Amino acid sequence: MATQTATANRSKQDLTVEQKIQELRKLYADTPQFAKTALENTLKDLTSAASQPRSRMASAGRTGSRQGTVSELTVIAPFASGGAARLRALLQLRNGNFDDTDRVGTVHDMRFVFLDNDTKLLFATAYDGDWDVYIEDFVAKIPNEMDVLFSCWEGWPGIHSPEVKDWIAKHQVTAEGWYVANPNLSVAETRRLGKVGKAVEEFLDKVG
Amino acid sequence: MATQTLTKPQQDQAFEKKIQQFRELFADAPEIGKKAIENALHELKSQASDPPPQVESAGRVGARLGKVSELTIIVPLAPGGAKRLRAFLRLLGGNLSQGADKVGTLHTMRFVFFDNDTRLLFATAYDGDWDTYIDDFVAKIPDYLDIIDSAWDGWPGIRHPGAKDYLAKHQITAEGWYVAYPDLTVAEILRLQRIGKAVDDFLDKVA
Repeated sequence: MATQTATANRSKQDLTVEQKIQELRKLYADTPQFAKTALENTLKDLTSAASQPRSRMASAGRTGSRQGTVSELTVIAPFASGGAARLRALLQLRNGNFDDTDRVGTVHDMRFVFLDNDTKLLFATAYDGDWDVYIEDFVAKIPNEMDVLFSCWEGWPGIHSPEVKDWIAKHQVTAEGWYVANPNLSVAETRRLGKVGKAVEEFLDKVG
Repeated sequence: MATQTLTKPQQDQAFEKKIQQFRELFADAPEIGKKAIENALHELKSQASDPPPQVESAGRVGARLGKVSELTIIVPLAPGGAKRLRAFLRLLGGNLSQGADKVGTLHTMRFVFFDNDTRLLFATAYDGDWDTYIDDFVAKIPDYLDIIDSAWDGWPGIRHPGAKDYLAKHQITAEGWYVAYPDLTVAEILRLQRIGKAVDDFLDKVA
């Protein structure tokens, strides 16, 4: 019985993948020849990837996507008047130094990108875990730094405002494709492994 | 002449000047921004005067911290492009590990549709130099690139001599870039995972 169900689900899944491939072929029918060729070349790969994905993209909570333990947050919002100049000065002063973010301990990476002639800011990060917990962590650990950075945005309500989460969620755009090389490694685990690696080298040096 | 290094007092002076400029810029910020800057200034001072990990160029375009670089591309979508790319991403459940694992230098990658499906943000964190990275993509997964990028308006095709110029033209260098472990490449992290596992096994055996 259990096996039958599994088989039925399996063929249903295959059918869906097959249908999706057909749909994709149709959509690519009016692309340039190089794109059509590329699709045909990868169909076998694509079919197996679609049937047995290594990990599935999930929701990071309120908004955003997640693979394993690693989530993405992508916010695009207009600058307040003078905001671009303020943020640029701040980033230049920091000169790549984000010790405060190190302290939060759940951020893999983050970028600040000025768009459309300094009228909008893209802020994009990769972080560990759930959306709500992540925002709360920032509020608890580095509220001043957050306000200094994000008061560059038009309408930023302030990190202590009850509306701050709604504001972020409203300007966040969920990624529809999200890849993570090591979806099971949190920042903490990666740092731990770095220490283990170093200890092993020292150990081998001593016994060597 | 041989060295451009500033003396300590010169450094301090330059830094004080920056802080001053900065206060002036924040003079017309909202009250929350002004208040926060005073609260944070003390810490900012100590951060900015510590020798920071330097953000460098990733090569032709983009920023790099340690070994990890950022690529941020924003392109207009071709007619029907959003629909095609979305169907492609959905087929793979949003996961592009099949292709990206083959490249082996990619930490993260995201696709974000915005402005009512007229524009796409493509953003990655990767190891090393811009030219090498693009060459790697071209060598290892050219078909994936063409499937994805044919949704982009004006994409000439990966084998076209203008492909790199197209990418560089649409890339915007990040003005702030942070990486939690700037010295670890994807390959190094994989190696550390194996070491970590071996150490666990070893400790289990001696326990």
